[in-house]
Amino acid sequence: MNPVYLIIIPLLSAFSIPLFGLISKKLVKFIPPLAMLFNAVYAILLIPQILKKPIVVLMGGYSLPFGINLFVGPLGIIFTGVIAIIGFIVSFYAINYIKEGDKEKYHMLYLLLLTGATGAVLTGDIFNLFVFCEILCISSFALVADLGDKRSIESSVKYLIQGSVGSGFMLLGIGLLYGQFGTLNMAHLAQIITEKYGAAQSIPIDLFIPFVFVIIGFGIEGSIFPLNAWLPDAHSSAPSTISAVLSGLAIEIGLYAIIRFVFTIFGITSILPALAILGLITLVIGEITAFAQANIKRMLAYSSIGQLGLIFFAISIGTSEAITGGLFQFLTHAFSKALLFLSVGYMIYRTKSMEISSFKGIGKKMPFASLAFLIGSFSLVGLPLFMGFSSKFIIVKSAILKNSTLFNILIMVVLLCTIIEGAYFFKVIQTIYFKKSNNIEIKKAPATAVIAFFILIIIIIGLGIYPNEVFKILQCGATELLDKSQYIRSVLG
Amino acid sequence: MIINILLIIAFGGAFLVYLAGKISGKLRNILSIIISLVILTLIVMLQGKEIEVNYFHFFNFPLMFRINVLSWFFALLISFLTTLSLIFSLNYMKGKENLDFYYLMLLLVNASMLAIVLSGDLLSFYIFWETMSWSTFLLISYNKGKAINAALKYIIMSIAGSLAMLLAIILIYIKFQSFDILFISTHINMSSQNFAILIFLLLSIGFGVKSAIVPLHAWLPDAHAEAPSPFSAILSGILIKMGIYGFLLLFYVILGLKILLSLNIWGIKLNYIFALLGAISVLVPSMIAIFQTDAKRVLAWSSIGQIGYIAIGITIGSSIGTAGGLFHLFSHTIFKALLFFSIAAVEYRTGTRDLNKLGGLMKKMPIVFIGCLISVLGLIGIPLTNGFVSKWLIYKALFLNQNYFLLFIALISTWAAILYGFKILHHIFLGQLSQEHIKVKKAPLGMQIPIMILSFLVLLFGIFPGLALKTINKLIVNIGFKSLSVNLFGIVSETGPLNIINIFAGLMAILLLIIIVFKLGKKKTNIKQDDNYAAGSYIPIDKYHFTSNFYAPLFGIIKPLLIDHIDNFYLWVANRIRSLSDKVRKIYCGNVNVYVIYIIGFAALLIILKIGLKLW
Repeated sequence: MNPVYLIIIPLLSAFSIPLFGLISKKLVKFIPPLAMLFNAVYAILLIPQILKKPIVVLMGGYSLPFGINLFVGPLGIIFTGVIAIIGFIVSFYAINYIKEGDKEKYHMLYLLLLTGATGAVLTGDIFNLFVFCEILCISSFALVADLGDKRSIESSVKYLIQGSVGSGFMLLGIGLLYGQFGTLNMAHLAQIITEKYGAAQSIPIDLFIPFVFVIIGFGIEGSIFPLNAWLPDAHSSAPSTISAVLSGLAIEIGLYAIIRFVFTIFGITSILPALAILGLITLVIGEITAFAQANIKRMLAYSSIGQLGLIFFAISIGTSEAITGGLFQFLTHAFSKALLFLSVGYMIYRTKSMEISSFKGIGKKMPFASLAFLIGSFSLVGLPLFMGFSSKFIIVKSAILKNSTLFNILIMVVLLCTIIEGAYFFKVIQTIYFKKSNNIEIKKAPATAVIAFFILIIIIIGLGIYPNEVFKILQCGATELLDKSQYIRSVLG
Repeated sequence: MIINILLIIAFGGAFLVYLAGKISGKLRNILSIIISLVILTLIVMLQGKEIEVNYFHFFNFPLMFRINVLSWFFALLISFLTTLSLIFSLNYMKGKENLDFYYLMLLLVNASMLAIVLSGDLLSFYIFWETMSWSTFLLISYNKGKAINAALKYIIMSIAGSLAMLLAIILIYIKFQSFDILFISTHINMSSQNFAILIFLLLSIGFGVKSAIVPLHAWLPDAHAEAPSPFSAILSGILIKMGIYGFLLLFYVILGLKILLSLNIWGIKLNYIFALLGAISVLVPSMIAIFQTDAKRVLAWSSIGQIGYIAIGITIGSSIGTAGGLFHLFSHTIFKALLFFSIAAVEYRTGTRDLNKLGGLMKKMPIVFIGCLISVLGLIGIPLTNGFVSKWLIYKALFLNQNYFLLFIALISTWAAILYGFKILHHIFLGQLSQEHIKVKKAPLGMQIPIMILSFLVLLFGIFPGLALKTINKLIVNIGFKSLSVNLFGIVSETGPLNIINIFAGLMAILLLIIIVFKLGKKKTNIKQDDNYAAGSYIPIDKYHFTSNFYAPLFGIIKPLLIDHIDNFYLWVANRIRSLSDKVRKIYCGNVNVYVIYIIGFAALLIILKIGLKLW
């Protein structure tokens, strides 16, 4: 089995969409779910093999460290799997949801976005990482503007400007690294840095500058405060399917890149407490801002910022268990937020309004969408029997186990934020279920949407009750991050 | 195995009832009653057994159920009250919307409460605790309107409490590498005093919110008043006692009596502080209850007061006190549920629970009146009702412990209980019958049955307290107290026995005396209920109630003292967060130039920190 297919198949299907469009316009919308279903199945089948030994694929036959390689370790396959599963569910949902506009372009860009995401997490080369990130970003710029109204174009341009600044930073950082160390291969870079600076007490400045540039560049994509100003606009004006993918997957790719740089390439753990505080600030700002939102999609977007902050915080604790918890929180957020955006998608579509107040009493008229919202928010708040509890439990436990005053205080702040989070989510639930409705005829969500909801609900409850198996895979991911020398060995031999 | 089956029936049954409701309403009603009866029977069968089962592994933590006297006692109360409440709901909820949802949530609350008391480890305790919290939240919201804010307040406080609890549970796990309650209780000696205090405080927040001990009571008055009435009975009757169950677990199972009594901060004993909070919970809410005009609100405030009694009882740390606290818990479950049912029946027939609009319903709804009368007597603690026994035990314990201050407060609060108890009775059943209520019919049979059963129990356990005291005695021995010598009519002790027979005889003598005095007096004349004497002035036809402004002089004196500052404080915090949120939002001003400045500025900041401050 060759992991290259995980990138090639979606890429080829993306570009085949215009061709299929020539045959029949109706055929187009079935290609993304098929491609993603392939990816999901293929990724899951790869897991046992990868847990034994990471797969390294050389592209174009050049030997390392000169050629470009794919590194398919536990971390990569976790991300790929989640991207594929959510990509499949969302595209399945989109079969009925995407009705207006240029469908061919939408579906093609959608697949390109997911290809970019998959490529970014699988590659073993920093320039390649940059390229895949650009594929992801550029297709998401276009997709944010998909609705074509003034609002979405405005946010798309804002996103484009900030994203380009970010790309500039990334490229500068990568350039500085290449100039200094003469290599772009992650493992090779890591090896050289360890050899050169491994014994240094503080981070040398010629390492720190590229580090800052890279962090800023990917931090914009990963929406770390204060680099996340594009997110609320972009997420709220995109079509709901795209919001789900952007919130659930795209920003996590930025996060992936950052942790890859921090742990594997630079291997600087002394900066972790600062990153934890940064994550916490992101969490606090996100949750507090979400608290007073009247627009449901903006609320969810701010909540994504908060969740990202939490993941970032958890990973920055830096112990194996904490990283596992952070990765678990990534799963929780990806699935729950996708569910929330999808359920809200049809509510907005039917009521033609994004105001929370317009969802009064919609629980009776759209039972499945409302149930999906309920479960998604329960999971995000971290109630037991849902996935969110499993992850939050591990994060809290590992933060306390760290046994340092700083983290004890930080985790208290995290818990306080959970209260705020609970407050705004439960308020929406009440609006949906318990406020008098304004008697407009509203149709239920169609079958494709309901099936998508139920797949996600089953995943959320299933992982809430049986987290063990997934937890083990995530643990391997955490080990991969922490064990830098193992990474270098498995690539360079 | 039997515990697993029990809980599978409880949880599965809830969803089954929901599905049955999609087929027909009747099937759903019957099924819900059957399920609750099956659960009740199973629990009765479990009497005296001690079973332990591992049922699941969450991550690598084994989860287990365990039944002993303590959990059996609570499980019995839970399932019994839920059964009655379901029977009551059949009539009360008839014709309302979303009934499938209502029954689902009611049974889910029931199932999760059962699972809480049967949990053998702290993790499953927490899991079911949260299940209970959110299902309660959904059920409180059911009535819409004002209920929505009430439920929101409940769930926010509840989340805050349970996060404190989560923190405590994880701390305990890290210390002992186990969630098993028994394991922890045998190893707690090895931990330091500070650790025990930390656990005590954190868990107290969690349990305190649920049991509504002042200052964590703010959610209760709204929630109890706005919830559907049959559920208010459960809420007040048993759900808030889950907090008390938690406290018992913490005080006597996890910490144990010896450690509990030794905990102190700067020399002040923690259990005394807790008892003081209990005393405040008795005193102030009982006073506040007097001034309420919404019948359910009176009961809600009264619940906080009664929980205060229980809290005092279980924290003194003596056999009699704990027995008293537990007996009061038991009594309160019965008479408070009875009160809620009575008022629900009145509300069902008249459509209002505003005390100033009701009156004179005694002859219209005799059974409900008798039920209400008996429960008020129990609430006040008149001899021959169960409330008397429990209060006697608590006073006795305070007396023996020489806690005269607490005793004094408890006694004063009883006086307040008399005032609000009588207010309820009078405003609803005595006085002038309002014109619009002349055609009020009796309560339906389905409502009368639970009322009659509960009235019977109030008297039964008032006259034969030994029936319950035996179990309670076993229970307190189980959690490490000395045994009390119990007989059918009370307890025997060298410091003054409780014997209902003597009290009964005394009462009879007084009653005889009263009858003789009345017989000697003037002969009474019967006056029709609507024939009111108004000193010659015109009686308005719509409403003439002697009882408006019932305790006016009292109002003037103590009302200014009784503003709920704590509730106001919580609201103030909520408003601060909202305005903070509005301010923080301005960071995202919408101007992309500013956003790019953020990015560049952040890069500059990091580099300045590095070069200037030599961080990292």
